[in-house]
Amino acid sequence: MGEDSSGKQKEFESEALVHLDTLYNVALRLTGNASDAEDLVQDTVTKAYRAWDKYEAGTNCRAWLVTIMRNTFINQFRRRSKQPSPVQFDAVEDISVFEEVQERDPEGSFFHSIVDEEVKRAIQELPEEFRMPVILSDVEGLSYAEIAEILELPVGTVKSRLFRGRRRLQQRLYEYATEMGYIR
Amino acid sequence: MTGFIRDIMEKMMPQPGGIDCGGVMAQLYEYLDGELDDPALQEKIRAHLEKCRRCYPRYNFEKAFLRFVSDRGHTSAPPELRRKIFQTLLEEEGHD
Repeated sequence: MGEDSSGKQKEFESEALVHLDTLYNVALRLTGNASDAEDLVQDTVTKAYRAWDKYEAGTNCRAWLVTIMRNTFINQFRRRSKQPSPVQFDAVEDISVFEEVQERDPEGSFFHSIVDEEVKRAIQELPEEFRMPVILSDVEGLSYAEIAEILELPVGTVKSRLFRGRRRLQQRLYEYATEMGYIR
Repeated sequence: MTGFIRDIMEKMMPQPGGIDCGGVMAQLYEYLDGELDDPALQEKIRAHLEKCRRCYPRYNFEKAFLRFVSDRGHTSAPPELRRKIFQTLLEEEGHD
């Protein structure tokens, strides 16, 4: 173990491992369970470490890591999990939650009554096409351009999937809040 | 008020910020996401939202929703995973 490798490890820690929470979060939403998510993070980090000399310092490390994760997931994990069914345009997306609640709760206070677990479940239940843009943008704060690069989609498609994903998520949370009596 | 009458009234009213409600709504997420490249358009939307009683509540609701998802959608990596990762890196280094 020479100085070079220890330097590499330090560099990797400070540039790549700072994104561990992002990686875990994305892995969790891709695989749908904690155990597979941990395996996916481990595989991703190991691959990234081995390929570290191919990473161009100063470029977007987080996007690079998430891209490796996505490819790893597609190659390894998806084989064992159920193939996602093609997503149809859903009537739920025609409904604007704001229009439903604007008289009763225009500021969306009801969102805050919803427990964390339910929020995560609602995100998890989004079809994958919408789930990834929503996670990457709304939870992880990546830009449209970064998401487009990671998901290999045109920016316009990212925008429309975000729009549809957000609508579905709002609708799901609204239904839950109504069932729980948080909105009257 | 029917939608028809409202539409006519809106056409007669001056549009705050020099942009109509439809234009603002179509670009609301891009505005909220900080993804509008054109600073002049951004300013138009900001000025519109400041004055428009119809669009502002919608903007406010969407902003609250996005903040909520950002605050509550996140799960941190378990400490045990962090420990395993460091262990893996040490082992990888041993192979160099």
